[in-house]
Amino acid sequence: MIQLGEYALWIALPISIVGAVLAFWGGAKRRGDLVLASELSVYTVFFLLILTSIGIVVAFLTDRFDYWYVANYSNRELDTYFKVSGLWAGQRGSLVFWVLLLSLFSVVATYSNRFKNREFMPNVVGVLLTITGFFLLVLLFADVNPFEKMPFAPADGRGLNPQLQNYWMTIHPPTLYLGFTAFTVPFAFAVSALLNGRLDTRWIVITRRWILLSWFFLANGIIFGMRWAYEELGWGGFWFWDPVENASLLPWLTATAFLHSIQIQENRGMLKIWNMGLVVATFLLTIFATFLTRSGLIESVHTFAENTKIAFIFLTFMGAVTVACIMLIVWRKPMLQSERQIESYLSRESAFLFNNVIFLAAAFAVMFGTLFPLITEGITGQTITVGPPYFNMINLPLGLALLALMGIGPVIAWRKASRRNLVKNFVTPTIVGISVALCFYLLGARQIMALVTFGLSAFVMTVIVVEFIKGTKARSRIEGEGHLVAFFHLIGRNRRRWGGYIVHVGVVLVFTAFAGAAFDRELIQTLEPGESVTIESPLGHNYTLTYQGLSSARGNNLAAKTTALMAVSEDGEPIGTLTAEKRLYITWEAPVTEVGIRSRFFEDLYLILESVSDLNGAFMNDPEAQRATFEVQVNVLVGWIWYGGFIITIGGVITMWPSRGSQKNSNKEKLGQSLAGQNP
Amino acid sequence: MVVGYLMWTGVTQTMTYYLTPIELMDRVEVDPTFHQVGVKVSGRLEMGSWSRDSDELLHHFTVADLEDESVRFPVEYRDILPDTFNDKELQDVVLEGRYREDGVFDATVVLTKCGSRYEASPEELMGDVIE
Repeated sequence: MIQLGEYALWIALPISIVGAVLAFWGGAKRRGDLVLASELSVYTVFFLLILTSIGIVVAFLTDRFDYWYVANYSNRELDTYFKVSGLWAGQRGSLVFWVLLLSLFSVVATYSNRFKNREFMPNVVGVLLTITGFFLLVLLFADVNPFEKMPFAPADGRGLNPQLQNYWMTIHPPTLYLGFTAFTVPFAFAVSALLNGRLDTRWIVITRRWILLSWFFLANGIIFGMRWAYEELGWGGFWFWDPVENASLLPWLTATAFLHSIQIQENRGMLKIWNMGLVVATFLLTIFATFLTRSGLIESVHTFAENTKIAFIFLTFMGAVTVACIMLIVWRKPMLQSERQIESYLSRESAFLFNNVIFLAAAFAVMFGTLFPLITEGITGQTITVGPPYFNMINLPLGLALLALMGIGPVIAWRKASRRNLVKNFVTPTIVGISVALCFYLLGARQIMALVTFGLSAFVMTVIVVEFIKGTKARSRIEGEGHLVAFFHLIGRNRRRWGGYIVHVGVVLVFTAFAGAAFDRELIQTLEPGESVTIESPLGHNYTLTYQGLSSARGNNLAAKTTALMAVSEDGEPIGTLTAEKRLYITWEAPVTEVGIRSRFFEDLYLILESVSDLNGAFMNDPEAQRATFEVQVNVLVGWIWYGGFIITIGGVITMWPSRGSQKNSNKEKLGQSLAGQNP
Repeated sequence: MVVGYLMWTGVTQTMTYYLTPIELMDRVEVDPTFHQVGVKVSGRLEMGSWSRDSDELLHHFTVADLEDESVRFPVEYRDILPDTFNDKELQDVVLEGRYREDGVFDATVVLTKCGSRYEASPEELMGDVIE
């Protein structure tokens, strides 16, 4: 089975290359048979890559430590669950997994367009297979073959890094990869449109759902990563402005910009070149992120390997794609002229345009900061770094501006907003926003940025809620439905719009959560059993944690584990217990910290077992070795990130849900859409 | 424009030199005010050099240059060390902080570079087996 997987990988390479050539050639010569043959190779490559992936997973499950990749990322006692996820635990497997997902999406795109959009398909298939072929080339010839054997088999593997043995870490990379690879499809359609000269909004309409899908996975992938950092890295934070985190954020920023700017192109026929630029940039950034994660080009807590050959290959590929796309866009420039001009600063177009400029500015600033050490070293020979304060300084104001635009964009009129439009839509939300900020001020909050965030969040929420109420009322009046029924029908009739608003609600919650971090409290204390520590929550109550002692045991894949038990009480009332651990994995020398979290709606109580005075004694259950140092934190609103993520998921699914396009409903649907889409 | 301004102030206010211990020593010799400046230093943690004070929060250890082990300085750090910090094996660390006039590096951030822990070369892996 493993051998078969390796052969499949070798066969997939020529098939994808031949397929790509057939696709481009068949498209140019209008030879249907060649195009069909190329589409057949899309399916074949997918089948082969499934075999390859199964081969790798089988190697993990059967403890084949004679394979270098397995020996490095697994050991006998590792949970089966983590053995399966070994497929994407390291660079080599991740590249296979990446190309498997790309191939999966290629199959979906090819199959769903087998009868329609045929004018695009040859070049789309050609582009998809070219990229697939590139990744296969890297896998086979850049010293990253996952099937590389060792001279002899060690008795056991080195084990998976304990910090990666966490549920969120198993789903975080695949989710991001789904987002990265899904974006290749819109990119392929854009290139196809440039090649065959069909540069109206058709390629956007076809790929709209793909763009949403990619965005959706990117957003979730980033949030899962934050969740992992929060639970596993053991310092109570969720974002570090680490190069690899930044790399995953970059395509999300440009994809979000793109998601908004295509609406201007669809509605007003503007920004055509801009959109082409964005789709190319986002695609390049997904490749950049894939490569940065696994190259070690920039020092990072996440980077796993240094392989300069692969860096060189990726940079060459990205350079070639950039040059080719710029040439295509320049060649088609006459066909990409805007049909209209912006008429007023007070219009939806300009709100969307600002949104785009800010997203791109943020992306540029983040990229600049991430690459700053490389740039300074290249120019002056002296490495200079910028840290989290740089990223916070820039992104905080940009984020707040985006938050404000999120309230303004959806309700300001197209073309030119009248005074009436502005007054009608913005007076109430502005009042609510200011009142909320004022309330928090009166309650004693003095963190200016947090107050502004809360105010703006309230403003945006009010805008959205008012929209929903107006829409529901109008529908219930016209269709004679009850309010609840009308509410759901309203969403159902224009999923893209109302689903988008729901996504906005989720994003507002995430922003609010970021601002909440300004109120976090923490303290460090060394305790003997029976002693306690009290921390005051910014919400007014006190938590008292009384240290009960340590107890040790052996666990699966663990040489030893010691658990500290705390009895927790709130304002004197016992409310339960909290535990934190030090674990010693059998494949790892240094002990690993596992935090204890008690989540509430407004705050988390977060316990870190910082150190145990006599750790070896504690592992032996020595009753004298009980003295330990703890860090206790109260993290305000951090849970809202996860709630926000959940709401983003719901909104995202609504926007992407295929419409029941039956003929019977179409008239009614149009009516519903025109009602819902109208702006007063 | 606004973004350019933000980036400029961001860079000028937060940029830190990333140095090796040798470079740091040279700089301090040339320009004593460098003691006041926050820097980032990458070096090797000396094996067995770690100890902690009785109040359990102040860590002491020694960091040496990767190329010339005679260039070294003591470090003080008052926060939680990363899990991967381990003075029982060869390990590279990155410090952020200030090199005080008394020759002690006052670290505010300690990171461990642990490439070898995430992924070993086949040779290293074989070394493990032979041991």
